[in-house]
Amino acid sequence: MIYLDAAATTLQKPSAVSRAVCRALREQTSPGRGGHSASMKAADVVWQCREIAARFFSVKAPEQIVFTMNATHGLNVAIKSLVGPGDRVVVSSFEHNSVIRPLHRVGADLIVARSPLFDAPAAVAAYEAQITPETKLVVLNHASNVFGYVLPAMEIARICKARGVAFLLDASQSAGALPIDATALGADFIAMPGHKGLYGPQGTGLLICKHTPTTTLIEGGTGSDATRREMPDHLPDRLEAGTPNMPGINGLLAGLRFVERRQAQILQHERALTQRLIEGLRQLPNMQLYAAQDSNFQIGVLSLNLAGIDCETIAAALDEQGVAVRAGLHCAPLAHESAGTLEIGTVRISVSAFNTSREVDAFLRILEKIGKNLRKSERNLH
Amino acid sequence: MVYYLITCRSLTYAQKAARALERAGITAHIMRTPKGLSKEGCSYSVKVSEQRGPLALRILKDVDARISRVYLQYPTGEYREVPI
Repeated sequence: MIYLDAAATTLQKPSAVSRAVCRALREQTSPGRGGHSASMKAADVVWQCREIAARFFSVKAPEQIVFTMNATHGLNVAIKSLVGPGDRVVVSSFEHNSVIRPLHRVGADLIVARSPLFDAPAAVAAYEAQITPETKLVVLNHASNVFGYVLPAMEIARICKARGVAFLLDASQSAGALPIDATALGADFIAMPGHKGLYGPQGTGLLICKHTPTTTLIEGGTGSDATRREMPDHLPDRLEAGTPNMPGINGLLAGLRFVERRQAQILQHERALTQRLIEGLRQLPNMQLYAAQDSNFQIGVLSLNLAGIDCETIAAALDEQGVAVRAGLHCAPLAHESAGTLEIGTVRISVSAFNTSREVDAFLRILEKIGKNLRKSERNLH
Repeated sequence: MVYYLITCRSLTYAQKAARALERAGITAHIMRTPKGLSKEGCSYSVKVSEQRGPLALRILKDVDARISRVYLQYPTGEYREVPI
């Protein structure tokens, strides 16, 4: 299989990840739930994972790293601790439903800072215009899960700092792929999954917290402050109720180690593959390609359409030929609306550290053939 | 042997304290806090030798380790709280 759906989940992982998952199942129980060696082994892995994540994302203290189930979980914690009904929240026009739906649920006054695709200065200007003294929270998707568009996080973080507004960064696509300096950004929260660019297993995620939130999403046992009815007032326990996902955290630690050692090479590799894709796709007939002019504004995710052919038909045909991509709206209707693809959707191609230029070339040949065949069968139908 | 038992608010803080001490060359062992000492419920402590105890406490002053209390643990099994 040529797997080009890393934006959903990276399928190929470093071999150390599956080894770590198996080791956890064999040797570890739950941290904070005993003093025996199986529990303390788990505790040591959890601490190592917090420590490496704190170092990798330039977070001051390891306890500011909270384990979540995924980025959506982290985004829900952040949003529901900061926003109440009627609060003004400014978001980009490229947000995922993992941001839009929690904001809708809490009854926020949702303001979209609209700007065109791949126009970072316009995005900054839109935020500047929409952030008012009443704004309670600013949310930014660091990189679009549909188009790979890298939004100007540092500039928008600066605006938030200057105006004293809380800032939440959705790093679902950027974590591992782009350098993220939490201290420099000064974001109140940064949410990310473990199973994409950090090469951990599904069911893992990290929430970087600048402060201890006043409210919690779920409550339960933490292995600490057991006599109190309230959740502990300290991180990470305040946000980590219940038994943690130890196989997942072991795998995430292995993934983080892999990425920390070679982040610059991974970025370079993915950008090279993306440029190869873009150049190849531009040669194909009837191609509608959504790509940045400047590669600094694009990660290894891009969208396309073949004029007149349904995106799901293309994805299904690719699947038949052994190529995995994702078509449709990608849980991000706002992003599609901003790019003018809400009605038709797109075919999304996304690469990881494990893809090769040979795979890219094979994909291009297969797509060209599919385009011709589908067009032929369309003509026959008419 | 007499030990210092530094009780922390959570396992994470005990780990943080132990790591800071290890970096300073002090052997530190994480353990469950004896039930009679953990007034807020279950917690974890960092155990260091009596000799290294005062230095350990000085080092931890600069670390946000959420120390609850400090005890001297005697071979008889008795504990005496050390004011911090």
